[in-house]
Amino acid sequence: MTLPLMLVAEDFTAPGPSIFDFPPLWDGAPSWLTKPVLMAIFGAIVVCALAWSAFANPKLVPRGMQNIGEMGYQFVRDQVARPFLGKDAERWMPLLLSLFFLILLWNLFGVVPLIQIPVASHIAFPAVLAALIYIIKIYLGIKHQGFVGYFKNMMFPAGLPKPIYVLLAPIEFLSNLIIAPFTHAVRLFANMFAGHLILAFFSAVGFWFLFEKLTPLGSGLGVLGVIMTIAMTGFEMFIEFLQAFLFTMLAAMYIGGSLHPDH
Amino acid sequence: MAPAIVVPAMSEQERRPETDGRDFADAAWSVPSYLLSGILVWGGLGWLLSWWTGVHAFIPIGVILGVGLAAYLVYLKYGR
Repeated sequence: MTLPLMLVAEDFTAPGPSIFDFPPLWDGAPSWLTKPVLMAIFGAIVVCALAWSAFANPKLVPRGMQNIGEMGYQFVRDQVARPFLGKDAERWMPLLLSLFFLILLWNLFGVVPLIQIPVASHIAFPAVLAALIYIIKIYLGIKHQGFVGYFKNMMFPAGLPKPIYVLLAPIEFLSNLIIAPFTHAVRLFANMFAGHLILAFFSAVGFWFLFEKLTPLGSGLGVLGVIMTIAMTGFEMFIEFLQAFLFTMLAAMYIGGSLHPDH
Repeated sequence: MAPAIVVPAMSEQERRPETDGRDFADAAWSVPSYLLSGILVWGGLGWLLSWWTGVHAFIPIGVILGVGLAAYLVYLKYGR
């Protein structure tokens, strides 16, 4: 009974990491100018345009775009900035707001028909953003706590016997200066990469078993693929929002930690 | 005589709502990073020792020591 299905299944090849490789946009274009790069620029322009239309000419009673913009602003301020930055929240809102909306848009490109590539599924993009936050974190830490003070507060939590520091300081150092920025970028990248691969897989299953090789036994699998594609698209949208939120939240956390070492 | 209107004093939490979530989120997001660092630092040291001495037992000893120290560090920073 399973033989026809097996034969069909052998021909099916699941999409792999190659779906993230794009050729240059046109013949003779520079090799770095690919679809994800174009979408990254497009996303930045859209964020600028949205912010412009919402906040360039603010009214006391907000209408239209200003309403939406203020909802976004309030969300980032109350959920991301204030819990970690307290009274410094407003000063850091321009950075955090643009960061949140840029990443959200980049992520949502993954489920927009025809675009269908989450920009952050190429690690270069989250890596640059994480590096930016990393530089800001170290700069602020040294500026507000002094060079020695910053590393002392980071690596030597107060009130411990000296031998313990030998054991713990290397862990603190590695965790704060190497692992943290690394996971900051990789968390966003890996979520977008895996999510896009899952969507590609299920839609490939649906397409293959319903259009390319339609068989009585395979059609059930094809229908399942379509259903899973729809379900996973909804799930992806949630993840895309969540990861934009988390990336911005961690940025606020690192900045707050450099401004006020209270541990 | 009218009853006095009693205004309850604000609790510490109500007074600074904006820093409520900070410690918890700090801890939640730092723990994996500390555990990984502990394993890398002390597991790495164990690996070096095993490489030099040929005693392979140093690797698991280092890894377990690293996890233990990282957990202790999390306790020191957020649990006390």
